[in-house]
Amino acid sequence: MAEYIDDDVLVCRCEEITAGEIREAIRMGATDVTGVKRRTRAGMGLCQGRTCEALVQQILRQELKGEATPESIGFSTPRTPQRPVTFGTLGGDDL
Amino acid sequence: MSAYDVIVIGGGVIGTSCAYHLVKKGYKVALIEKGDIASGTSSHCDAAAMITDKMPGADAALGYASIQKFIRLSKELDYDFNFDQSGSLYVCETDQEVEVATGYVNALRAEGYRVKMVDPYEMSQIEPLLAKDLKGGFWSDECAGLNPFKLCYAFVEQVKGKGLDVFLHTKVTGVRLNEKHQVEGVDTDKGSFTTGRVINCGGVYAPEIGRLNGLNIPILPRKGVILLSEATGPVCHQKVQEFGYMVTKFANVECDRDPELLKYNVAFTLEPTEGDNVMLGSSRNFVGYNLNTEIEVINAIAKRGMRFFPILKNMSCVRAYAGVRPFVEDHLPIMSEVEEMPGYYICAGHEGDGISMSPVSGQLMTQLIAGEETELDMEPFRFSRIENRFLD
Repeated sequence: MAEYIDDDVLVCRCEEITAGEIREAIRMGATDVTGVKRRTRAGMGLCQGRTCEALVQQILRQELKGEATPESIGFSTPRTPQRPVTFGTLGGDDL
Repeated sequence: MSAYDVIVIGGGVIGTSCAYHLVKKGYKVALIEKGDIASGTSSHCDAAAMITDKMPGADAALGYASIQKFIRLSKELDYDFNFDQSGSLYVCETDQEVEVATGYVNALRAEGYRVKMVDPYEMSQIEPLLAKDLKGGFWSDECAGLNPFKLCYAFVEQVKGKGLDVFLHTKVTGVRLNEKHQVEGVDTDKGSFTTGRVINCGGVYAPEIGRLNGLNIPILPRKGVILLSEATGPVCHQKVQEFGYMVTKFANVECDRDPELLKYNVAFTLEPTEGDNVMLGSSRNFVGYNLNTEIEVINAIAKRGMRFFPILKNMSCVRAYAGVRPFVEDHLPIMSEVEEMPGYYICAGHEGDGISMSPVSGQLMTQLIAGEETELDMEPFRFSRIENRFLD
């Protein structure tokens, strides 16, 4: 098990969300990655959670202890596009 | 077995608003949700409380009343749901649209709402990044934006533990009726509850819950796709939409439309978020419950977006997502007791108006349950208007 991340550590760099804010979301009722995301914005930024998702999963696992399984913690729903792409490309006639 | 005055099924915006208003009235309430709060339609949408997407008359009055309630709620609820009365702008691409829009705006003005026609110069002052070749539009400073899922959290957090018990990841397996067909309890996969009243706030899943008791609730999932931009400087300052949107929403407003857009009911909408992204929409079509974002629809939405905000061309899209809205054929929600099953209430089927109508819906259901005079005439929302409302 990875070590404890202090409350003031930035976990989601894109949206500047700390471990403490993620723990607060879990106290509010979040039990999975998506629940944390909606309550804190962690994972809503430019990288769409590609950087912080593993850390959010780790914090969920530590806070929820035996109540959580990898399946219940889950992951952020994979969505198009795979990486940021301009609206110009998405709306191009050559698609 | 715990006992409650009312059990609300569904933790979307309608269920959470009902729960909040019932607790405020003094009822002991349980909210049962099969996933998390706001995990369905209420977090897969955009959100605005508007007058200018309503038809003059009762519809507009409802829109106006909702905005006033949001203003009050933004002060009453401790959890910030990013309510922002920033206004909204509709833009017209053709002279024909301007003409229809003028008639519409005059009708709203005659009813006393603050909305006005704006010319292309005024539009460029309101939204500098808008395309320069548009013919005109209309603007209202009464409309507002908000964060839909934060609104759900705000309703819940305010009363949780103070009259409201929340049961997440709990699936309703049956609503128990006695020999007189009155509600006497709710069974779930985590245990049973005793109650005399239940409200089915299942949205697109309301039919599934209704089926447990032989009800045929005619709500269909109608999908909408939204594209989310990277966070940037301000692109727009309020909700901006093409007037053609009115055509997709009310088929009785006549305007010529490009057939390519009609295929997926694509209409341009753009909304800023509190995180400095913009949400670009929209589409509406019936494809069941699947939340896939088809590339053809993404393509049409992006193209339509660039037509009105050319700056989007070089901005990045970070996510495409879709939600299903609870559609009812006559475009009116079902907000009613099931007469044949005393204590069984339905509040669902708001389609794209669920967020904006949530405060008034929660209040109306509370008034219905308390046996008080309702703020609005509930006749149009009765379940008994549905012809085949029981399964064979």
